[in-house]
This record gives sequence, C-alpha cells and structure tokens, in this order.
Amino acid sequence: MRHKKGRSGFIAACVLPSVILFIIFMLIPTINVFKMSLYKWGGFSNNKQFVGLNNFKILFQDQKFFRSFQNSILLIVLVTIITLFFALVFAAILSRENLKGQNFFRVIFYIPNILSVVVISAIFSAIYDPNSGLLNSILGIFRGKDASPILWLGDQSIVIYSLVIAMVWQAIGYYMVMYMASMTSVPESLYESANLEGAGKLTQFFSITLPLIWTNIRTTLTFFIISSINLSFLFVKALTNGGPDGSTEVFLSYMYGQAYTNSSYGYGMAIGVVVFLFSFGLSAVVNVATKREPLEF
Amino acid sequence: MKRKLVSVLLCVTMVGTLAVGCGGKKDEGKSDEASKDSGKDGQVLKVAAFEGGYGADMWEEVKTAFEETHEGVTVELTVDKKIEDVISPSMKAGDYPDVVHCATGREAGLTETLTKEKGLLELTDVLDMTVPGEDVKVKDKILPGFLDTLGTMPYGDGVTYYAPMFYSPCGLFYNAGLLKEKGWEVPTTWDEMWELGDKAKAEGISLFTYPTPGYFDAFTYALLESSGGADFYNEAMTYKDGIWETPEATAVFDTVGMLAKYTEPTTVANANNDNFTKNQQLILDNKAIFCPNGTWLPGEMKDAPRADGFEWGFTAVPAVSKDQKPSSFTFFEQMWIPAEAQNQDLAKEWVAFMYSDKAADIFAKSGAVQPIAGMADKLDADSQLYYHIYDNDAAVAVMGGFAATDPVEGVSMTDSLFNAVNSVMSGDKTVKDWQADVEAASDKLRDAM
Amino acid sequence: MKNKKFKPSRIIVYIFLILLAVSIIVPVGWVFLASIKENSEFYGNPWTLPKGFYFQNFIDAFSKAKMGDYFLNSIMVTVLALLILLVVALPAAYVLARYKFKGSKFLNVMFMGGLFINVNYIVVPIFLMLVDGDKMLKEWFGAGFFINNRFMVALIYAATALPFTIYLLSGFFVSIPKDYEEAAFVDGSGYFHTMVKIMMPMARPSIITIILFNFLSFWNEYIISMTLLTEKELKTLPVGLMQLMQAQKSAADYGRLYAGLIIVMLPTLILYILVQKKLTQGMSLGGLKG
Repeated sequence: MRHKKGRSGFIAACVLPSVILFIIFMLIPTINVFKMSLYKWGGFSNNKQFVGLNNFKILFQDQKFFRSFQNSILLIVLVTIITLFFALVFAAILSRENLKGQNFFRVIFYIPNILSVVVISAIFSAIYDPNSGLLNSILGIFRGKDASPILWLGDQSIVIYSLVIAMVWQAIGYYMVMYMASMTSVPESLYESANLEGAGKLTQFFSITLPLIWTNIRTTLTFFIISSINLSFLFVKALTNGGPDGSTEVFLSYMYGQAYTNSSYGYGMAIGVVVFLFSFGLSAVVNVATKREPLEF
Repeated sequence: MKRKLVSVLLCVTMVGTLAVGCGGKKDEGKSDEASKDSGKDGQVLKVAAFEGGYGADMWEEVKTAFEETHEGVTVELTVDKKIEDVISPSMKAGDYPDVVHCATGREAGLTETLTKEKGLLELTDVLDMTVPGEDVKVKDKILPGFLDTLGTMPYGDGVTYYAPMFYSPCGLFYNAGLLKEKGWEVPTTWDEMWELGDKAKAEGISLFTYPTPGYFDAFTYALLESSGGADFYNEAMTYKDGIWETPEATAVFDTVGMLAKYTEPTTVANANNDNFTKNQQLILDNKAIFCPNGTWLPGEMKDAPRADGFEWGFTAVPAVSKDQKPSSFTFFEQMWIPAEAQNQDLAKEWVAFMYSDKAADIFAKSGAVQPIAGMADKLDADSQLYYHIYDNDAAVAVMGGFAATDPVEGVSMTDSLFNAVNSVMSGDKTVKDWQADVEAASDKLRDAM
Repeated sequence: MKNKKFKPSRIIVYIFLILLAVSIIVPVGWVFLASIKENSEFYGNPWTLPKGFYFQNFIDAFSKAKMGDYFLNSIMVTVLALLILLVVALPAAYVLARYKFKGSKFLNVMFMGGLFINVNYIVVPIFLMLVDGDKMLKEWFGAGFFINNRFMVALIYAATALPFTIYLLSGFFVSIPKDYEEAAFVDGSGYFHTMVKIMMPMARPSIITIILFNFLSFWNEYIISMTLLTEKELKTLPVGLMQLMQAQKSAADYGRLYAGLIIVMLPTLILYILVQKKLTQGMSLGGLKG
C-alpha cells in the first residue's frame, strides 16, 4: 500500500519539532520548578540546600500565602461568573438580534483584549483616582459633593472588587467573540421552529442556544481558570502591587515576592508547584462537574 | 561609548580570548606618567550603578576621572534605573560586575539578597587604603558615624561590607509658605504636632500624608531612635527578644496609630508605586501639611503645579520621648564588591577612589553628597538647607537599618513593619495586632541571624 | 424586516450596548489625548483636555527613551516567533488531530497539560538552562549564544505558545470530514502535498485567528523578554515601557510614558482592525468545539 509507505516518516517530521521544543522549553523547566521546590536557595550563590518538603510545610502555615490563595480563588470565581454572564448575553444579542451597529459593537468590545496590561493599568489608575477619577466624579453626582470619596484602590474591602471590574472589562470581548462564533453555527431552523411554537427569546436562549454551545462553554471555563491566574498577577503587579498591605496579593505575585524580593527562590518555586497542581485540579473538577450529554445539531 | 565597548568586548570574546577582562585596547597613546599602580595594563573594571535622581552623567565623569588616573584601566560602566534587572540575570549566570552601587531598601532587594547569601567581599582593608591621589586614609576621610552602623556592617559583627555613598537626611517636608501665612509654628514635639493637626483640621487641611508605606522605613527609624535612644535602636535592628513589646516601642506604634487619625483620607488609595506622586501633590496643594521624604522630593515634583506662595520646608521628626532630641534618619546608598568579582583589587581601588576630592566634587555637582567632611557646604543654598538639619545638635542623625539575616520564607520586616502601615492607616489593623506581628516577625528573623 | 416596531426592550438593549462601548472608547481615547499633554498637565485632574498638541512627547519617546530601537526589536522578535510557531505548530496540530499512531493520545494529553504551565514560573529555570548552555559553549568555542539573542527569545515565545495554538488548530482540523483527504489520496497526492495544498488553505481563517492571538501575546509579553534580553540594545517595547514607568525616586516623565503607551498600542489596534472580520469566522469554522 502506498499509504503505508512514508506514513510514520511524515508523522514524525510533523510532530517532532513541536515535541522537541515543548520538551526543552516547557517540560524540562517545569520539572526544574518541581525540583527546586525541594531546595532552600537564595537565587545567587552555589549554596543550594536540599530541604525535602520543608518549603511546603512552611507554606501551609503561612498566613500570607493563604490570603493570596483566597484572593486568587475569589478572582477566579467572580471574574468567571461575571464575564461568562455578560459575554453570553452580549453574544446572544449581537448574533441573534437584528440591531443597528452590530459590527461596530463587536469590533469595539474586543478592543480591551488587545491592550497591554500596562495600558489598562494606566487607564484604571485614572478611573479609580479618589479625588478626580472618573468613577468618583460620576458617583459624586448621585452622592452629593460632600460625601467622602470611595477609595477604590485604598479600601481593603473594596480593592479586590476594583480588580474584578478591571479584569472583567478586559475579558468580556474575548469570550463574547468566542461564544458568538459558536452561536452562529447553531442552525437557524431550530430558532424558526421555536418561533412557530411561540417560545420567547429567553426560552429560546435557555433551551436552544445554551445547550448547543455547552461544550464550547465548558472549554472556556478551563481558559477562564488559566487566564485568571495569569492575568490577576499582571493586573495586581501593575495596579496595586499587592497592596494595600498585601490585601490584593495573588498566587503569582506572592510567588514573585518570595522568590526574588525575599531571597527565597526555592520557597517561591514551591508556590509555583502548588499553583500548577491547583489549576490542573480545579480544571479537572470543573470539567467533571459540567459534564452533560453532548447535544448534536 | 558603551555600545562600542560592548562590541569590542564581544569581538574579543568571539576570537576566542577566554580570560575575563581581556581589554582589547591596551594603549590609547597615554604615557606612563599618571600611572600610580603598575601591572594594571589592559584591565577592565566592570562597574554597575543605580541611576537615581542624580542622573547618569556623573558616573560617566567619574569613570573618565578614574581611567585618567589609572593608566591602562578601562571602566565598563552600566548605569540603569532598574540596575537589578540588568545585572542580576548575568550574576545568576556567574558573571558578576566588579563593583555595584545599589542601595539597600530598594524594591528588588538585590543588595539584601546578596547579603543574605553571604555573597559580598569584606571591605575592611579598603578603609585602610589611601585615597588614590591623596595621602589620607579612606577611613579618616569618611564622616564619623557612617562606618559603625548596620548600614555598612550588615551582619552587625563589626566587619564592613558596604561602602557608604551619597547621604541625605530624611525628614518631614512641608509648605513653609502655608505655615507662615497661617501663623503656625513648626512643631518640635508630638504634642505640638497633634495641636497643629486639630487647628489644621478646622481649616480642612490634614496634618499628614505619605507617598508609599515604603517611606515609613526612614520615618520609623527616626521615631525608634527618638523613643529609646541609640542602644534601644540597635537592639531593635538586631531583633532582640521582646524589644518590640517594650514601652519605648509601644510609644512608637502608638504615635503612628495616632497619626492615622490625622492622615489625609485618600492617602492609602494612592500609596502605591503608580500613584504616590498624587500624595506628594497634597503638600503642594495645601491639602496636607507634612510628608516624610528625602532630599530628592523637590526635584521629583519640580514640574508640578503648586499653591501660591509655596516654599519647601524641611524638619526633623519630633521626638517620641520627652528626654530625646528630634531625629532624622540619614539615608545613604551602598557600594559593594561581590565576592565573586574577578578584579577585586582594582574594585577596591575604585571604591577608595569614590572618596577622593575629585570624585566627590563630580558627584556634588549633580547634588549627590559623599559622606566626607565639608562636602555639604559645596552644594547650592537650597540643597544645603537639608544638610543643616543636624547643625548645633538640633537633631540626632540615625543611620543603618535592620541587620541582615538568612532568608526566612514568608517573613520580612518590610511587610510586617512598613507595608502594614497602610492597614493601620485605613483601620483594617489595630495598633496592637500590628505590634504583635512585628514582634513575631522579629522572633523568626532572630533565629536566622 | 419585521423589526421596524419599536419595542422598549430594544431600547434597554441599546442602552447597555452603548454603555459598554462608551466604557471602552472613553478610556482608550483618553490615553490618546494624554499622550499629547505636556508634563505639567499630568498633575491634578487626569480628565482635563490637553491644552495643545504636544508632539514632542513622541519625539522624546523615540529618541531619548529609545522607543524606536525597541520597536524594531519587538517587530523582529514577534514576527520571527510567529513564523517559527506556524511552521512548527501547523503540521503538528494537523497530524495530532487527524492521524492515529502509537503515542498520539499521549502527545495530545501532553500538549493539553502544557496549557496549565505558567510562563511566570518557568522563566527562571529556562534562563538558568540557557546560562548553563552558554557556559559550556564558552568553554568549547569561546562565545555564548543563548542569552541576549533575539532568535532564542522568539523560539521560546513560539515554544510557550505551542499548547494553546495546537489546541485551537487541532480543534479545527478534527472538524473537517475525512472525505477531503481520501479524495486527495485517491488522486495520488502525497501526505505532505495533501497537508500543504488541501488542508492548510481550508484552515486559513483559523490560522489568521491564531496569528492575531499570538501576535497580541508576543507583542505585549515582557517577562521572558526582560529576563533573557538584558542588553540595552536588544530590549523590546513593553520592557522599555516598564522602564519609563520606573518613576520612583527619579523625576517621572508622564508625557513620554503615554506616548510610549500609544506606540505599544497602535500596531495591535491596526492589526486587529485589519483582521477583525476573519476573527469570528476563524473561531466559528473550527476551534472550540471542545
């Protein structure tokens, strides 16, 4: 058979470059992260001391780590739920309704996603400014001139939600486009027959759209977990630097602080290991929990 | 120049010369007359320096001056605002600069890390060296007081590892014009301070603001010294057991707790690296009176709009204890030699050269003051204002911060003592909890000394 | 059509859409306005309009802050990384999606697992690995190669983008009916020919989508670039921008900073506007069927 000949050669030629790159630049470094989490090392000297699981032992007694853990989970959960909701609603409206300027909205909503986090943090610093910020100026109209300003980045009970707003703002467009993409592939005939049966828009959304794009939503949940962990770090670094007083510290920002600023590289890597296992485990749990019989159309 | 040097070096390494410091340009037509030390021909000294508010130009000038007096030596200079990011990757790779100018207390903590890792070269013999081109010993030229602090002997064991550079007093900045206009006196005790705070509050002005909690280092150091005196201060800096629970320490914590009531309400929201200038702006806008800072502040805010009749004022931190004098933390930067430096002898020569009149004059032109007697008098009148704070024993100079320890995972004084100020100010943490946290951190760090 | 009737629910929908649009346009427009303000205008209310058109910010950013050089570096690294990524990931995604062979399942799982590896904690191990490589090279040949090399950074960008890219692309390739290839094989087309001439053109919308996604992430990336490119001449735009932001204890130059923000933002905006039509198409044709 002609097909047999050269098949394995072709497969190898196509797959090997990727596999080699992946092993060298992702797998081996990850293994090194796991290895270094067992050492006490400051980052510079040749003095690496094997401490076994000691770094993890300290980790589980570290209040500050737990706080960063809590903040991370809070951000993951809130950002996912809020973004998911808005992205779905806007996607449904823009793909199913006949609106003026549909294209315009679709283009505009995606823009926050293409901005560098540095740009976004500059924008939100100006929005959150207590005295002359956009948000307080607008709220000032309703609350009266004498009301004391809301400290969006200073009040420890508010600041984490200020981060949520910024992250949702950044993410809506991205997921909206994803959902729009799968919504347009839902056959129009389904909606037409639903219309004939007299089903309302909401019923159609819940009984047709949602079930049919369910697999897509499940996939994006994994994306939400991965990107929230990563983006929360970038946002925190740029907007609050973990402050005030560590109240917005998240996984990776705490890892950075320990590995580099507090000269505890091994400890930082132990945090890295926990983050890896956590995101992996959480995705697995979410994956299982959202499993439904896939609907075909 | 730098680009050229790098490419020359690159070429040389390409060709296969292995030795580090293989300067490709041995002679540039200079005669031997200026050469003080023989056997230095063709050496390359790698100097890395932090570019602070004083600018980068002075380093170029000093480099030229050093090369002129040291025949055949080429100085390879790296100056950057984020010097840690530039040099630490290659340091991790085992490629160390010969001399580093980078202060303690910076966010990246490179100097602290190297110290914790015992990666510094002892500088005791540099103190006994003669200043190049002069006949004075280095240690005799440096102002008294600078050499016996934790700011130069990080382990507190009497061995010098940091060379003190560019000192400037830290204290409270204010709008002298505003106080004059209102007829208010500059307070010298905390009781007067609170009195002024109440008066100001009636006029809608807050007593206090701060750029970021990081600025509480100098401020807290000054409070500690003026609460318990020099010995108490040193015991606190070396984590003596129970020291943070003494009445002297409690008085300091309480003062800051009291200060929280007088702090401009939006301060905490802007107390981060992006927005701290907004807090400094409060002083210029007459919305707050005092702000702890260093002598670089007027330069930092030189473009900022200000209230009519604004005039910078500067005072020491009032004493916490009635028996003590007001105090001011003397901030200075550090220069050190990594233990892994290749050209250690030449590096020491460079450090000694920093204290020559020639180098000090170059620095002074940019406003950077070396800790040498009489240097402050060479500044212009405005800058001199700050250095006169200690005149006539009006204020006590406090020097040196916390002693270095081995790295302790998850624990640092910066977090527990300074960053926590934001929580105390916003009311999220009580003064009692704060104090207890500091003592707990101190316990852990003591074990790692 | 029939939606000429004015329903109140439509007005509410419009209000929401317009609100979100405004919340995006106003801040982004503000950055553009801020970039032409003079430094002294940055103290005080950030929402005041600029007094004039102060173009000097851009000149300063390009000449004094070297944004021009950084710009070229960024383009070089980003384009190179995209090329490597496409050449490496496309065949891999195609084969992993459409061929069953020994270990194919394992490889699929491996790349899936790669999605969970975060660049932020593997960057230092990568760096240390390269440093060791350099040390060895220096001993043997007298010159290092890995650190301060834009090609290496591009290669690492491509490598770290592999899991996501392969994931997206194979999602697309899986969805194509088997018939296409079988017809090609019957016509006597070889494996390679089939992949390049038949499958790749079909994947064009998806390829454009991954180009946009990866362009954005490479262009805005700074952690790898900051660690691996330490020489001033080699820095990329976001790292240059971070330096401009280092305002602490040295006079901040806001005008220049915002000009820098615009310089970083503009290419992504332009690329996005150019390909935005294809974006939904690329994802709808394949991609995320899960």
